[in-house]
Amino acid sequence: MKSIVVNTISFAYNDDAVLKNITLDITEGDFVGIIGPNGAGKSTLLRIICRILHPQHGTVLLFGDDIAQMHGKQIAQYLAFVPQETYFSLNFTVEDVVRMGRYPYLSPFQRERCDDRDAVDRALHAAHVDMFRHRQINSLSSGERQRVVIARALAQAPRILILDEPTSHLDLHHQHAIMELLGNLNKEGMSILVVNHDLNLASLYCRRLILLHEGSVFAQGTPGSIINEQTLKQIYQTDVTIIQHPHKNVPQIFLK
Amino acid sequence: MNKYLIVTALFVLAVITGLLIGPAPLDSTILQLRLSRVVLGIFAGGIMAFCGGILQGLFGNPLVEPYTLGSASGAALGAACGILFVGILNPLFAFLGSLGVGFFVYTIARMEGGLLRDRLILAGVVMSFLCSALVMLIMVMGGRELYEVLYLLMGYLGVIIDASNRWYYIVLMVVSLGLVGFLYRYYRELDIISQGIETAAGLGVNIERLSLIIFVVTSLIIGITVSMVGAIGFVGLVVPHISKLLFGAKHLRSLPASFLLGATFLLFADTLARVLTVYELPVGVVTSIVGVPFFIYLYRR
Repeated sequence: MKSIVVNTISFAYNDDAVLKNITLDITEGDFVGIIGPNGAGKSTLLRIICRILHPQHGTVLLFGDDIAQMHGKQIAQYLAFVPQETYFSLNFTVEDVVRMGRYPYLSPFQRERCDDRDAVDRALHAAHVDMFRHRQINSLSSGERQRVVIARALAQAPRILILDEPTSHLDLHHQHAIMELLGNLNKEGMSILVVNHDLNLASLYCRRLILLHEGSVFAQGTPGSIINEQTLKQIYQTDVTIIQHPHKNVPQIFLK
Repeated sequence: MNKYLIVTALFVLAVITGLLIGPAPLDSTILQLRLSRVVLGIFAGGIMAFCGGILQGLFGNPLVEPYTLGSASGAALGAACGILFVGILNPLFAFLGSLGVGFFVYTIARMEGGLLRDRLILAGVVMSFLCSALVMLIMVMGGRELYEVLYLLMGYLGVIIDASNRWYYIVLMVVSLGLVGFLYRYYRELDIISQGIETAAGLGVNIERLSLIIFVVTSLIIGITVSMVGAIGFVGLVVPHISKLLFGAKHLRSLPASFLLGATFLLFADTLARVLTVYELPVGVVTSIVGVPFFIYLYRR
């Protein structure tokens, strides 16, 4: 079963082509990383898949349905998006923020039901933020806030979680914690699609990588098949050495 | 529990002082005049604060309100055109003025991609000045008295409501309150938008549609209100902040609290405007004196 099928997508800001005829798909239960240099179109692709941006050409199918024909709340019941940066201009409690994840299931003035409250509790627990439940969101560190944003996405009870650079600006501990969290969610059956600048993290956690270059898919496959010295030299114009991870059978990159 | 009681008590106190305090001795005629004044004050204060709260939520900008956005002055300009060309103070003209100026401000602030928060306020304040000047010009050219111009531009609750126009006012108020109730249903969307456009879009909020609805409906409400009591400034700026401070960030609570606090604030301001001098000051004089320092404080934060 394909959770997402991207079909010949092209997108341009004014006259600058950002994505050129992209076709790819995500199998249900997969853990896919999108990598590529700055300006390759990674974030734009995510925004199109989440229907935040509308492509000039091509379609996106979500479990077989064209998202252009779907209601926004309907999409949000299948697919949750964690943006690169979330800012909190109003000071809500952590629990309030996570409860907003139930928006796709509620009509105006409808009170939260039992399953809404359960979903919020599960999300708080899964993202390890239940101890912050009653804290104000702006009193947390950026790593903790990122986990709250992921909890909000989990409260949507999505079948696929999409994240735009969830570990940038985070310290080693929080990078690890977030990637482990994604790994655990994936083990429980959730599909994960993540844009990651950190090639070593992507290689370590993703089962499949899609390498974007200048708006097109340059290569896709397992980390072992994508990450090699020739490809990285060609795409990033950087000389690197690649060795196997000492504990896991994946490539890791060292700058020369 | 306490703060609910205090806020309600303040509201009741504002109503009572509004009815009892004033230069003229209390008799049944005066009481009747003051009653219509209090009703208008509750209505206009509540509406302006509610709209301020909604617009601040939509634009994610703490300085936005009907007055700083230019739509209140636009409504006054529309109303002035109505007086000059049709001869009556017409809510339809005020609505069109509010919508037109609001749209213009929005377009200026949106030029070259992205809505800039500072530019929105700058454009709004500048357009507000322009509209005030044009109102002055139109009214004076039309042979109107200056005090009428002042009341339209600064706000005045002393409109005489009697048997001849009672239903006109009642219908307009009921329609406006109905529209307020309609906008209130978007409280969840406003909570979500405070966390960014992308977050909102990702959760399935249709931002373009929501912005259009809020924009048009608030213009309509502001148009109606300004055609009744003039362009009262800064109620919509000050009150939503106090409301959020007292009742938290969630719009489910802060919006109705804004309505009640706005009504209270405007009633006190009007009572003050009536007793400060022997002349009747426009109520906007008092709200601006309180509001402008607050605006500067928020701007510096």
